[in-house]
Amino acid sequence: MRVKRIDHVGIVVKDLDAALTTYARNFGFAADASRGGDVAALGIRNAFMPVGESDLEFIQAVADEGPVAQFAKERGEGTFMLSIEVEDIDAAVERLRGTGARVGSPNNGVAFVSAKSAHGVNLQLVQRK
Amino acid sequence: MAIGATHIDHIVISSNNSGAVAQTFADNLGIEIKRKMIRPGTSAQLAFAKLQEVVLEFAGPPQVNPDEEVKAKLWGMVLAVEDIDAAVADLRSKGYTVGDPTKAVQPGAKIATVKGGTSGVPFAMIQYNALPIEGASA
Repeated sequence: MRVKRIDHVGIVVKDLDAALTTYARNFGFAADASRGGDVAALGIRNAFMPVGESDLEFIQAVADEGPVAQFAKERGEGTFMLSIEVEDIDAAVERLRGTGARVGSPNNGVAFVSAKSAHGVNLQLVQRK
Repeated sequence: MAIGATHIDHIVISSNNSGAVAQTFADNLGIEIKRKMIRPGTSAQLAFAKLQEVVLEFAGPPQVNPDEEVKAKLWGMVLAVEDIDAAVADLRSKGYTVGDPTKAVQPGAKIATVKGGTSGVPFAMIQYNALPIEGASA
């Protein structure tokens, strides 16, 4: 298994548009208009701002259920998830499961690691094409 | 102007046992822990791994209770900037409370903490090559 880089940091926000405005106006970042939007399956809206070779992902819950909604209820806003790019996601998932970690099956090059398997840190693995 | 951020310099994972968390990441993900140190002043235990341009910093208290469940959380991040004094001045002009740049643990670097206005993300800025590196020849 080869870990390549930090793909993105997920940040839960209450108001996606307000957060994007803040980060653009005050910090000089620009949203990547080619990515993000409504992700109904996860009950979220998101947007990405590149910073060097990684991205900030801003995530707003739009459903009452799900991990993002739960985080928003408990903590409001803040750093939510670390996404790590791996060379081969199937190999990465196999390795993790071999250590006893709970990992979802890869879907479109993305797999989620249970926070319980990382001492409470939400981890996502991603394989880019 | 903006703050002139070039990249995410490091991401901090805070825990009650930084050594154990770093070892879990090393074992499970194959990440190499490159460096461990005690932070001067606070005696916090730190471990570092580098994934291309981003450093993962595992931070924990000086003393670890071996009977306590290891708990970690993704804490915050530090952005590399080209001119930290200009970045601090710019954010202050926009109403932010920003600490004065101070010497960072990284050789030759200065760091300043941004307090609030970051969507709940603990957030700091770092500039490398901001100070003479002790022991380096001219």
